[in-house]
Amino acid sequence: MTAARPRLRKLGRALSALSTAALYLAGFFLVLMTLFVGWQVFTRYVLNWSNAWTEPAAVFLMSWFIFLGSAVGIRENYHLGFDVLLYVLPRSGKKYLRTISDLVVLAFALGMVVYGMQLVLLSWAARMPTLGIPEGAKYISVVAGGALIVIFALERLVLRWSGVDIDADVNLDLDAVPDAGTVKEV
Amino acid sequence: QTVLVASDTHPDGYPTVEAVKYFGQLVSERTAGRYSVDVKFGAQLGQEADTVEQVRAGAIAINRTSLGPWNGLVKQTIVPSLPYIFKSTAHARSVMSGPVGDEILAAFEPYGVIGLAFYDGGARSFYTSEKQITSVADLKGMKLRTMQSDIFVDMMAAFGATATPMPYGEVYSAIETGVVDGAENNFPSYDTAKHSEVAKFYTLDEHLIVPEVLVISKMVWDGISPEDQAVIRQAAKDSVAKQYELWDAKVAESRKIVEGSGSTIVEVADKQAFVDAVKPVYDKYAADPELKALIEKIQAAE
Amino acid sequence: MELWVLFGTFVLLMLIGTPIAFCLGVAAFATALYMKLPPLVIFQQLNSGMNIFTLLAVPFFIYAGDLMVRGGIAQRIIDFASSLIGHVRGGMGQVNIATATLFGGISGSAVAEAAAVGGLMIPQMKARGYGADYAVNVTSMAALIALLIPPSHNMIIYSISAGGKISIADLFTAGIIPGLLFALVLMLTAYVVARRRGYPTEPFPGFRRVGYLFLVSLPGLLLIAIIFGGVRSGVFTASESSCIAVFYALLVTVLVYRRMGWRDFVHATMGAVRTTSMVLLIIGTAAAFSYLMARLSVPALMIDFLNDISSDPLMILLLLNVLMLLLGTFMDMGPMIIITTPIFLPVVQAYGIDPVHFGVIMILNLGIGLNTPPVGAVQFVACAVGKITVWQAMRSIWPFYGASLVVLGLVTYIPEISLWLPRLFRGT
Ligand code: NA
Ligand code: NA
Repeated sequence: MTAARPRLRKLGRALSALSTAALYLAGFFLVLMTLFVGWQVFTRYVLNWSNAWTEPAAVFLMSWFIFLGSAVGIRENYHLGFDVLLYVLPRSGKKYLRTISDLVVLAFALGMVVYGMQLVLLSWAARMPTLGIPEGAKYISVVAGGALIVIFALERLVLRWSGVDIDADVNLDLDAVPDAGTVKEV
Repeated sequence: QTVLVASDTHPDGYPTVEAVKYFGQLVSERTAGRYSVDVKFGAQLGQEADTVEQVRAGAIAINRTSLGPWNGLVKQTIVPSLPYIFKSTAHARSVMSGPVGDEILAAFEPYGVIGLAFYDGGARSFYTSEKQITSVADLKGMKLRTMQSDIFVDMMAAFGATATPMPYGEVYSAIETGVVDGAENNFPSYDTAKHSEVAKFYTLDEHLIVPEVLVISKMVWDGISPEDQAVIRQAAKDSVAKQYELWDAKVAESRKIVEGSGSTIVEVADKQAFVDAVKPVYDKYAADPELKALIEKIQAAE
Repeated sequence: MELWVLFGTFVLLMLIGTPIAFCLGVAAFATALYMKLPPLVIFQQLNSGMNIFTLLAVPFFIYAGDLMVRGGIAQRIIDFASSLIGHVRGGMGQVNIATATLFGGISGSAVAEAAAVGGLMIPQMKARGYGADYAVNVTSMAALIALLIPPSHNMIIYSISAGGKISIADLFTAGIIPGLLFALVLMLTAYVVARRRGYPTEPFPGFRRVGYLFLVSLPGLLLIAIIFGGVRSGVFTASESSCIAVFYALLVTVLVYRRMGWRDFVHATMGAVRTTSMVLLIIGTAAAFSYLMARLSVPALMIDFLNDISSDPLMILLLLNVLMLLLGTFMDMGPMIIITTPIFLPVVQAYGIDPVHFGVIMILNLGIGLNTPPVGAVQFVACAVGKITVWQAMRSIWPFYGASLVVLGLVTYIPEISLWLPRLFRGT
């Protein structure tokens, strides 16, 4: 990172903040999901009445949690891959394969934004049972997650072609997250 | 030579699936093979809520679902989903294949689909593991698993019972262990999901006689010639009798099985008390004048 | 041609090391574009494939595992188990399998099982000098026991897909002995591999020490009793129990062991976010991929090929097993059961094979498919917890594949393994 130009470093800091915010929001949703399901059990068993909203609300939060966490995973490079070819290829070849991978991720994320938006519009008129909010709201997480992945995939492409070695190893603050389920590639 | 992809969430051989296949057969014969129907059964293309979006977007041509997933979109579908709206299965069938049914079918069009026909989704009743339900008072305080729908939640509240939502696959063990006191469904589901093993008392209250609907995507429809459109419409109407026949056989078979395996079929003494109890549900939805008119038409019909 | 686009794109991207979630997603995306389907259907399936309430057990069990590891629960349970059977060669592998068998009586999800037991055991095994690949493979294979030992949601799905002619009670009962047999064969395999690798044995510390460690670990062990008792007595459902595990883990670590501070809590939460979001994204894109397989009638094509062959029930079972293993390699369990049951079951019933027996075969077979790349949810979870790649796990998984195939063979060709117990219960 130190070799990079100052403007890149500034961008990196901004995106770090974005990524951390996304991670903390996902964590907050996980805690909220736990509370919802706990509340569901508590009210049914202890107070003897049931909430109809807890289940759909927890599921609703889960997709936000997954897409936010997945976007952070692109930046921190912890998604699972099956990289047979990378063992045999020389270093320079690896750079091209990684670029293709990031372009593939970018394409899919653009699809999430564009077609996620179509889904939001298509089903906005319908009401979700129990929660009463527009059915289309459940796809906003697809759009938001897609947008974050677009940003982080672009960052990787820019960094790599500016000469920053982002493929060497997992780019993680391991001290801050010692038990994170991070997966090293290669 | 166009293949129309159809979705049905029930497994192969189920009356609705067979009816859609029969419909496809008629379409194929009567259009001299210009159109055929490929039925993807068993929720291969997603759950009902998914397939509703797909048929609206033109990703699939034909869709057979219950009315539930349309309730939040086409408000007219709420009316036949109301508890005790139909006096009997015969009443439901005559209403839904008559002018009132056609009026509701027409209401689908602004939402990107053409309503073709209504099938019979059967009469749903309560079943319980410990305590029999013979009157409204028995329902008070019971925890019963229901479908995830506002009408159900409102109905259960009106009964003084608790609607307990949970995934279908968990219902069996939830009844067995007492997480819930029971659930509700039609005879075939009560039998095939094996809930009859753990909930022995089936109360014939028939709170819901819910039609199922067959629709075609408007995007696909607009590309079909008026002659073929007429053929498809008629084929759908003609498949209804077939579906009724298959459905009746299925119900009789399931009922025989559960009775044979020791389920008690409980008759309700005073059904009017159940009907009276759900009045708050009607008050809520009849606030809409259009729905109110529809409710009155159905109640007036024979 | 559509099939070539789907599988070609997938294999190509996988080879160049694209994250698996995106291999599946982009292959489906490209195929939808090629078929001129509205592509929004791919992203709809992505979303709805992961929006299933029962799937909440995945983040919850992983989260509870993270909390237990950080809060010292895991350490104490394993100290106790290790003092008990650590003096067997590779004893931690045995502890892992035994724990998985116990947990199998609580959960029906192999994915949740891999998350819970793996989250507990894998870091401990690594700390004690076991290879990460060994720990991951033992965990992912032992997790399959949960599918066989009741409760098992997949057996309910099977019964429903079969048009309801099969008793779930019978299916549940039928899974018990195959589940225990699977555990036994895995223990033997784990022992042999551990011997060959020279994994540690620990000296037997004496009964006083065992008793002491038991008392120390009791608050943690109680979690199993609470979950088991809670589910059995109807306080909560099986998938809700995963949430209770989170609460209980917090309770014990904060109040009893006093090991959990705010900082630890935040770190455990973030760890769970990282691990589970990745796994669940794969489940979502796999749903999109499966959607296209269904639209392209892949299962039906496979069946056509079967119809041409054989009249021998043993041969048919063999073929079906091979076919299911192949399909299970590429597809997830739930949709596989729903799609293939209505097609396979009439075939086997025509040959006089009991549907309950076939259900057990199918569950075990497709369960093995959860541990085969490219679409192997359980393996992904175990690898994520063990912090190794699927590739690294694959290099030493073969003895465990062998063991599971032996069990599959026994269960397939000796119907009594499955059918004896249900018959006993029904008194027929
Ligand atoms: Na289980
Ligand atoms: Na697999």
